[in-house]
Amino acid sequence: MPFAYQLPSDVSPATVANTSSLLRIIALALISGAAIASRLFAVINFESIIHEFDPWFNYRATKVIAEKGFYEFWNWFDPTAWYPLGRVVGGTIYPGLMATSGVIYSLLHAINLPVDIRNICVLLAPGFSALTAWSTYMFTKELKDESAGLLAAVFIGIVPGYISRSVAGSYDNEAIAIFLLMFTFFCWIKALKIGSAFYGSLAALFYFYMVAAWGGYAFITNMIPLHAFALILMGRFSSRLYVAYSSWYAIGTLSSMQVPFVGFQPVRTSEHMAALGVFGLLQIIAFAELVRTHVSSKQFQSLLYASVVGMGITGALAIIGLTYKGWIAPWTGRFYSLWDTGYAKKYIPIIASVSEHQPTAWPSFFMDLQLLIFLFPAGVIMCFRQLRDEHVFVIIYAVVASYFAGVMVRLMLTLTPVVCVTAAVAFSSLLDTYIDPAEPDVLEDDSNTGQDAPTSGTSTAVSTSSPAPSLKKAKKAAAAAPPAGPLDGLVSTVTAAVSSSKKAGKPRGVFGLDTRIAVLINALGMLFFFVMHCTYVTSTAYSSPSVVLASTNPDGSQHIIDDFREAYYWLRQNTPETAVVMSWWDYGYQIAGMADRPTLVDNNTWNNTHIATVGKAMSSSEEVAYPILRKHDVDYVLIIFGGLLGYSGDDINKFLWMVRIAQGVWPDEIQEPNYFTPKGEYRVDEAASSTMKNSLMYKMSYYRFAELFGGNQAVDRVRGQQMPKVGPTLDYLDEAFTSENWIVRIYQVKKDDPLGRDLKTANAFAQGKKRKRSKPQVRRKAVS
Amino acid sequence: MLLPLLALFALPLCLAASTEANHAKLVQLAAANDGVIRLDQSTYRLLTSPRRNWSASVQFTAMDKRRRCTPCREFGPSFNAVAKAWSKVSSAERDSHFFATLDFDDAMPVFQEMNLQSAPVVQVYTATEGPRQSASGRTAISLDFSQGFEAAPLAEQLSHYTPVPIPYKPPFDWSRAATFVFMALAFVAALRFMAPILRSRWTWAVIVVLTSLVMTSGYMFVRIRGMPHSGPNGQWIAPGYQNMFGQEVQVVSMIYGTLAGGFLMLTLIVPNNLSPQRQRMQVYLWAGVIFIMYSVLVSLFREKNRNYPFKLLF
Amino acid sequence: MLSLWPLLAALVSLSISSYAKSSTGDSVLVVLDPSLQRDNFSIFFKGLEANGYDLTFRAPKDVQPAVIQDDHAEFSHVILFAPEAKSPCYSQDITPQSLVTLLEKGTNLLVALSTKQTPLTSLAAEFSLILPPAGTPLVSHFPERDTPSTVVPVNVSVNPVVPSSLPPVWFSGTPFAFGNNPLLVPILNASPESFAADSDRDSGADAVYDAAEKGGEGFWAGSSLGLVAGFQTLGGARATWVGGIELFSDEYAEKTIGGIKSGNEPFAADVASWTFQESNVLRIESVAHHRVNETLPRETYTINDHVTFSAQVSKYNPETSAWEPYSGISDLQLEFTMLDPHIRTSLIPVPGEPGKYSVTFRVPDRHGVFKFVLDYKRKGWNFLESTTVVPVVPPRHDEYPRFLSPAWPYYAGAISTSIGFLVFSALWLTGDNQEQKKSKSAKSE
Repeated sequence: MPFAYQLPSDVSPATVANTSSLLRIIALALISGAAIASRLFAVINFESIIHEFDPWFNYRATKVIAEKGFYEFWNWFDPTAWYPLGRVVGGTIYPGLMATSGVIYSLLHAINLPVDIRNICVLLAPGFSALTAWSTYMFTKELKDESAGLLAAVFIGIVPGYISRSVAGSYDNEAIAIFLLMFTFFCWIKALKIGSAFYGSLAALFYFYMVAAWGGYAFITNMIPLHAFALILMGRFSSRLYVAYSSWYAIGTLSSMQVPFVGFQPVRTSEHMAALGVFGLLQIIAFAELVRTHVSSKQFQSLLYASVVGMGITGALAIIGLTYKGWIAPWTGRFYSLWDTGYAKKYIPIIASVSEHQPTAWPSFFMDLQLLIFLFPAGVIMCFRQLRDEHVFVIIYAVVASYFAGVMVRLMLTLTPVVCVTAAVAFSSLLDTYIDPAEPDVLEDDSNTGQDAPTSGTSTAVSTSSPAPSLKKAKKAAAAAPPAGPLDGLVSTVTAAVSSSKKAGKPRGVFGLDTRIAVLINALGMLFFFVMHCTYVTSTAYSSPSVVLASTNPDGSQHIIDDFREAYYWLRQNTPETAVVMSWWDYGYQIAGMADRPTLVDNNTWNNTHIATVGKAMSSSEEVAYPILRKHDVDYVLIIFGGLLGYSGDDINKFLWMVRIAQGVWPDEIQEPNYFTPKGEYRVDEAASSTMKNSLMYKMSYYRFAELFGGNQAVDRVRGQQMPKVGPTLDYLDEAFTSENWIVRIYQVKKDDPLGRDLKTANAFAQGKKRKRSKPQVRRKAVS
Repeated sequence: MLLPLLALFALPLCLAASTEANHAKLVQLAAANDGVIRLDQSTYRLLTSPRRNWSASVQFTAMDKRRRCTPCREFGPSFNAVAKAWSKVSSAERDSHFFATLDFDDAMPVFQEMNLQSAPVVQVYTATEGPRQSASGRTAISLDFSQGFEAAPLAEQLSHYTPVPIPYKPPFDWSRAATFVFMALAFVAALRFMAPILRSRWTWAVIVVLTSLVMTSGYMFVRIRGMPHSGPNGQWIAPGYQNMFGQEVQVVSMIYGTLAGGFLMLTLIVPNNLSPQRQRMQVYLWAGVIFIMYSVLVSLFREKNRNYPFKLLF
Repeated sequence: MLSLWPLLAALVSLSISSYAKSSTGDSVLVVLDPSLQRDNFSIFFKGLEANGYDLTFRAPKDVQPAVIQDDHAEFSHVILFAPEAKSPCYSQDITPQSLVTLLEKGTNLLVALSTKQTPLTSLAAEFSLILPPAGTPLVSHFPERDTPSTVVPVNVSVNPVVPSSLPPVWFSGTPFAFGNNPLLVPILNASPESFAADSDRDSGADAVYDAAEKGGEGFWAGSSLGLVAGFQTLGGARATWVGGIELFSDEYAEKTIGGIKSGNEPFAADVASWTFQESNVLRIESVAHHRVNETLPRETYTINDHVTFSAQVSKYNPETSAWEPYSGISDLQLEFTMLDPHIRTSLIPVPGEPGKYSVTFRVPDRHGVFKFVLDYKRKGWNFLESTTVVPVVPPRHDEYPRFLSPAWPYYAGAISTSIGFLVFSALWLTGDNQEQKKSKSAKSE
């Protein structure tokens, strides 16, 4: 047989197998190393610190676990959150993340490694990303082969789309969730492949872990039933499917109900009904199959099918009926907003206001996935060519995930794994084709492809026999061929798989060495570029812990802006422990975590009214706001102001959301249009509307801002507008603290006036203003 | 045109007349043209007299073609629809809340004194006397159109201020129903006749690939944000990283498609070509195509993200 | 000679009984206008000194001794007897603003007004006392008497400040009307037939009458006028406003009304003792809360717990200058609030334990951060306020009932499944291959 280049021929198959597995292990180890290393930019550029907002709460909760143990954590009632309502933390969170790091913590301490809990939290995400790479490898291996698996592992290891949620310090549920997602899916398709109840139960266990870890578990809950349903529709029902699904659903559901936050949802909410329905359908069909094997009368079978369909429909109707009866809760808002994209903005502005719930523009797709994004469709086509059950899964996953990722930036995370997998499949089959030294008109391959063409070719029809044998056979054949090179085994497998389409049997291959080299160089160049891109994006875009900001000095050196921590530590050290701090909900977790003070609202937005109350206080005038503040025992008000530095994520830019949320609850007291100029612009300068100028938020933001410019024209560098010479005045609050760059400003709420006057007049008196003399009010008319 | 006349008669009258008389007048006016009083300056004064035991929602608009107020003409029908729905309720409630429209050309001074720069605007005037006196003490409340110009949200908003909720039912959408039925029939027919096509994996492949291509090139963004197909003065690349025009979806998905196609060609089709020269040619061709399209894509991305350091060809 | 004994006895008893101090200290600064001699008020001042106060005198102009030295109030009480001093005659540290600061620092004020327009007039407005225009003293023609019509005998009505009924007192000076400020404590009101006229010889009386005819009795006329008014600040300090300084003078103290000695002296003493926080001073010694049949307070309470809250109240006794348990409050209330009071109940004095008030109630079925709020505000008494924050939490995971009768379906399910499993495995172990297919589908159902 002609070869484009020679391979060493005196290597025994055993050696080949060993070497390749050794190489694979080494490769995986290196991939894990790369995955972890590339997530440490954050620690290197800044420091080992918890990032952003939610992680701060997770960190706080983890500390509780580490100190008090799991039961105390389970019963943890946090009186400092949502003051004065308090928050039953144990029952309202997914404890998986905290439990994980709690276990790691106690393990390390059990072997006398006194590691600080913070470092565990910071480094948890990178650690799990290594595991994710491994599970992706396993998953892809089931789809194609080891080489594709390795590629997929590399991709998921360094792709920005996943790094964005798992850099060191972003200690959030997603950090471990993606690993669980991939591993559950791996167990699922494995169970489906070999019809093993063991893998099904394994999938169930990891599903349980996932449920305990992330609200996104609903994705699995609907993904697997969808897959099973599609298979049934394709007429691919098999005992393997039955066993796998039943074991997964039964164990998975029961165990998921053990999580306090989930409780009875799996049997009470619509998100879980698909799984239940498919489970029922499977039982019916299995029963039908069973009967068919025993009964052989034609009309009876047709009647049987009719009854099966009938039962299915009645089941579906029953579910719908229950939903209307209210026994089953309808879709929750967050879910519903995925389908009806206008829903959130209209009815749940809190959800719509979150930046990561915005739709995704194409640049962010490219930013996060780079070349994978266009390898993705190619990979899907590849999956279509050999349409085994697991390929069906990947295809469904691809469609669903790409839609979700389009709707919400945040769900890019669920898209990333499947993109990596499919891209790896596409890319590795390209490499296989062009590395394969064999040139066309070879005959052994044809023979054994000829043999297994029927099995895998007709796998669209109802086939209970797994196509796995064909692969094995191909491998065997390849290994048997005496002068087979190390790659030859792979090659023949691939050709076997690839040629399993209509035009099977035709000799195929690439001529000449130059073509191979050209294509390979092209491909490797792209991979290299991909690595460059990932490194660049990770280091610049995704590694900043929004708690500490960085800017570059004129001389190019890095300048750290640390206002947030400055302010939070000021609160921590200068205010009584019970001082209640009011701020917009974005900063609730950080205040609780860093300043350790009670907050009114925080980032788990469970009580719309309470948030609306804060919004009302912020957006109404001092006189209106003061009673609200006093009623909630607010001692300090904290706001974020970027006008001096040009920090665009400040409260004035979020202000309209506060207004909208408040308007949702008090429509005739707060009205959004009043905050715009008559021309309908959102301005903060002279032209701003009076309601805007009188609002507490405006006053607190620009209080004494003009003085800073010493007579020159004050300019707000975020809005790029010129501020009036005379700033607003405050009667009911005192400026308590303003951070170095004015990003954080803290105001103290004044106590009542000892003489029982309202604070406005009290101030006027203290500044020596004359008050107009009043007349005694008429008590009763004189009798005339 | 009878109304102005009537108003003229009304004017001297209602200056003297008591609240009841005004109210009767308004009821009459409302009855005159189904539910919507077409105001001019005097009747506006009458309607919004400081002592009133009725409430009213007034639409300030500029229907005249010359004003070129497209939103006004867009909004007018839904306002009238809501008013019509309101005229259905029993007279006791109906006569305690009025719907009126005030056109710019009929009463410019009113617009000036309320310094309204833009139209349409809907003002709700709550009752200042009687049982339905507004608790918050605000007499004039202006609605916001944050939920669009449709009638349903308008009715929902106004129902806060009417004695009983406005019984507005959106008209049955025949076109949607028809399309739905048609689709259903088409599907059944498809099941019947095009079973082989539906069975074929490649139809599904095409569907799936197209979907994912469109989705991954930001279609949903354009859809949800309602971005225009292309910007003013013909630019089709929206400036800014988190922003895009409709046309970019097509271009980007095209590029993605070509690149994916190139890969598939190299992987699947080319090796089947058994004449060495032609195959070699194809290999180089596709490799070139991939390289060029890729550099095009990168340069396009540099357009969006200015400080992106890498570039291939362009 | 004989007749001296009772007097002597009286003097002795007086000197014994009357050794007392204020609850907030006994240093008094008297800012006395040079135009008025100290001897004119000797009775009043002597009375104070007899009560154990040490008085420091100073003219408004003087700088020493300072009222506030490096942000600390030097005296615990200040008497401002400079009704006619115009603002230039005051030194820097006595301005309306600084007087308010004094009150915020807990210093008590006794201020005498006059019919002149002075800085004090504007200060009075801050206490929502509404003074008539300058130069309009209180005038009354009844009862018939030989004194000028601006020197008015006023009947003293018994009120928290003046516990025992006294003979009428002589008054001359400016009256004032009350704004609606709940902190004001009217002490002495004008007689119904008196009014404020814009001159000493009541030439303008008719004008006032006409005005009263037109505008109703909202004018400075009638019994709604205040002559002496106390003011209890939220900070706890007390301020008393007196319409005319002569009220304290020896002359009025000796003067008789219809043959009997006027009540000025005891009245002035009462006013002073209230102002200087001798009388009507309460305080909460301690509050305690615990679950029923426990003794120690809990960090947190569980919903529907039965909780006992108790407070120890004591009253200042000027006689012994000591705090004594006080059970005399009948309308003390406890609120258990989160945003709004979820429970409002009355704290009843515990019989047998003087000064202890206690109540037991069931914690509402609502978790959150609650507060025990004790808020007792009565005219003439100083305010009792205490808030104790305590979180109310839902039951722990192991505090719920173990077995529920509604859960029987689940128990039954679990039991039947396990039995089914046993049966199945028995069948499967004994069965042959024929059984296997069937049992497989049976297994996972």
